[in-house]
Amino acid sequence: MLARYVVRRVVASIPVVFGVTLITFGLLHATSGAFVPGLELNPNLRPEDIIRIRNNLGLNDPLPVQYWHWISGLLHGDFGRSLVDGSPVLRHISDRLPNTIELTITAILLGILISIPLGVVGALRRGSVIDNFFTFLSVAGVSIPSFWLALLLILLFSVSFHAWGLPWLPSGGAESAFGGGDPIDRITHLILPATCLAFVYIAIWSRFTRSSMLEVLSQDYVRTARAKGMSERRVTYLHALRNSLVPLVTLIGLELPGLVSGGAIIEIVFSWPGVGRLALERALQYDYTMVLGLTTFVALLVVVGNLLADVIYALLDPRIRYA
Amino acid sequence: MSRDQAPGEEGYRKFEDFLKHWSRRDFMKNISIGAAYTAFLAGGVEFMEACANAGSGNGPSVAAKKGGHLTQGSISDIKSMNPVLQSDTASAEVIGLLYDSLMNTTASGELRPLLAKELPKTSSDGLTYTITLRDNIKWTDGSPITADDVKFTYDLMFDPQYKAVNSPRRGDLETYVQSITVKDAKTVVFQLKKVYAPFAVNQLQYGILPKKVWGSLSPTDVNTTDLNTAPTVTSGIFKFQKWDKGQQVTLTRNDSYWQGAPYLDTFIYKVVADGVAIGNQLKTGEIDMGQIDPAVLADVQGNPDLQIVNFPVAIFTFYAYNQNATAKVAQMFSDKAVRQALLYAIDRQGMADSLYFKQAVVATSSMPPVSWAYNKDAKPQYPHDVAKANSMLDAAGWTKGADGIRAKGGQKLSFTMITNAGNKVRENSLVAMQDAWKQIGVDATPKLITFPQLVAQITNDRSYDVFLVGFSWQADPDQSALWHSRNTAAGGFNGFGYKSSNMDKILDDAVATLEQSKRKQLYFQMQDILNDEVPAPILVFNKGIWGMTKRVQGVTGGDFGLGTYTQFQNKAWMKSAFVADGK
Repeated sequence: MLARYVVRRVVASIPVVFGVTLITFGLLHATSGAFVPGLELNPNLRPEDIIRIRNNLGLNDPLPVQYWHWISGLLHGDFGRSLVDGSPVLRHISDRLPNTIELTITAILLGILISIPLGVVGALRRGSVIDNFFTFLSVAGVSIPSFWLALLLILLFSVSFHAWGLPWLPSGGAESAFGGGDPIDRITHLILPATCLAFVYIAIWSRFTRSSMLEVLSQDYVRTARAKGMSERRVTYLHALRNSLVPLVTLIGLELPGLVSGGAIIEIVFSWPGVGRLALERALQYDYTMVLGLTTFVALLVVVGNLLADVIYALLDPRIRYA
Repeated sequence: MSRDQAPGEEGYRKFEDFLKHWSRRDFMKNISIGAAYTAFLAGGVEFMEACANAGSGNGPSVAAKKGGHLTQGSISDIKSMNPVLQSDTASAEVIGLLYDSLMNTTASGELRPLLAKELPKTSSDGLTYTITLRDNIKWTDGSPITADDVKFTYDLMFDPQYKAVNSPRRGDLETYVQSITVKDAKTVVFQLKKVYAPFAVNQLQYGILPKKVWGSLSPTDVNTTDLNTAPTVTSGIFKFQKWDKGQQVTLTRNDSYWQGAPYLDTFIYKVVADGVAIGNQLKTGEIDMGQIDPAVLADVQGNPDLQIVNFPVAIFTFYAYNQNATAKVAQMFSDKAVRQALLYAIDRQGMADSLYFKQAVVATSSMPPVSWAYNKDAKPQYPHDVAKANSMLDAAGWTKGADGIRAKGGQKLSFTMITNAGNKVRENSLVAMQDAWKQIGVDATPKLITFPQLVAQITNDRSYDVFLVGFSWQADPDQSALWHSRNTAAGGFNGFGYKSSNMDKILDDAVATLEQSKRKQLYFQMQDILNDEVPAPILVFNKGIWGMTKRVQGVTGGDFGLGTYTQFQNKAWMKSAFVADGK
């Protein structure tokens, strides 16, 4: 049953991924851009160099031909080579992906660990001072631009703390340039960007948990459980919390593609060597194959993320059947 | 986190003050996310190649110390470590430390032999350049660097069988070079097609590759080989250790370097988000040196842990009037009075002071003031003079209409100006120009586009009215790229369509002689003509500003200290650089 459902979903997602590649390709080529990706205003570059290098890169072929070359490579699992530096797109992604995953997983874990208790407390103490305070934090978390928060944190915890002779946190990068790379070093580099990224998750998910919890607490089966004389603690944590988390799973599942792309702004501000920054850099250099490869990769993740969320959803809630 | 410092009470007090005051501080004034994008868009381009004398020295006040590391911050990651393919500054900086070239230059741009024993010997007709290599030069594997390696490297960029190599240098080499021959193991001869004065400065500074490592690759493999991302056999002052993409390149001391090993054990080229981040990381010591964005200069200048070096560079910011026959504004901009009056109306000193934070100088000609060909008396000059601008336009028959905008023969002095979005200084320059021109009855509207789109407009599309961009020059004063009519062709940089047979002749004559005094005279003429014609007025010349932590020593001063032509691919100062704490 489950297997058939999964297969059908996978087949249905093929046109989606295909469509994403087609639209990305079209948009990239519709914007008039650099004549040779990565080569900029270079006074020594001659018109004949531009023509020759474009020919070498296949950029003078008709667009359908270029697209066919790329997509037929993709069907063989070949994401192509970067037009800017000639190295394989997949190697770029695999070089950067662990850093991005490290950052986003940490942020998501922080988000889950902090947002659920906040939401639960808010729901149980609805209208109290502490609930109002959490509401204030959520609104702030959603409305404060993450790059601004990032710069503020850098200014305070890196630059100012360093200047004042306090223990300070690194302002950028995934590890110290010299002699870095040990777990402690990486964790100290992770603290600021992960906190920034988690802030938004906490803001959204704690609100979500709170309202979901409130809804569940007013359900008949909760009342029944209480009527049976079950302790309030058991009612809250065994019945209410577990059921209130079902919608949150979908929400977190939707963040799976965000594992790759979600922290782009944070990656830029913190000089984090991740995939999001790679995508932005290369988009600005008109590295067509790299941008196509990245969007396809993210599209695949969206599909997988949604699928995974659906499956977990069904496991958590037996009433959901695979139709 | 810093583990070597005990938290001080003073620090906590300051932290409390900070908490009290932070909400009142205007962080956004100095810190803008825009800066992050600028870096990728055009920052790197501007700093491609630069020029002149070193600033205040930090010559060794203590005896040089062996050992330790130096971390340089850069706003862009490198793209390749192949000198044949490289075209961006970041890659050039690392390549210059890995592969020596035949020649390099002093800080002020004078040619000096590097792998070559002496300056090239030119034949009396100026067509033959004979280069003799040093005896003691060798690759990191111990084998000697020979004339074969030199020929092989240039063949990759020049020989027809290597056309599939994506080298941006082929066009230039094919235009000027007839043949490259190996005379003996240590001698190589470049035969030119015509006399070309900038040849030695422009074409003999590419890193030389080892033939025995690269020779077996097919032309297309040269574009994609792993040697581009992890070179094995090199010749420079440092050796390659690792490249963590998007993060840093780590190089280690080359003990067998022919000039002797450097003091430093390790050089790290570290990617940093933007100019603001460079300032921050200098302050925390996460990086030891980096190029300073004028906007953050005031912020780092007073820091007791940092030293600042600045010097003029051969980079200018200019705007151009579209004079291509096809342009709808061609007619108004063909009127010299209009071109001149618009320049008089701009307060360039004000721009240099406020938009460039005083880190730019008003241009008095198109030649960088650091060049030997700079004519400081080029005429006419364009001091800020609104009254003169008005009277010139009146005299030329451009009269104000009911809407306050000048017109002549039904055509209004009204146009749009483009530059690249994200570069705050350029964006603000357009706004300043809009204001200035409004005062003389000219309606100009700024429009922002992406950097690649801007380049495409300048070199190909050419449907703009006015563009504003930066341009950087090499040590040779040849400026054909902008002013020669042949570069009005598609792909050329004379995208504003300036055509003058007189100018073409001057530019051609100036590169067709090796006699410097004669060249100088011709470039003086060029500057006078350009100052009179103003096809594309130069607003300001930029400055190069570097920040360093105090522990960095032996970097500045002397012919090869950090300066105009030694800040990027030619880091000759690495030989004398050391860190005071030896760490």
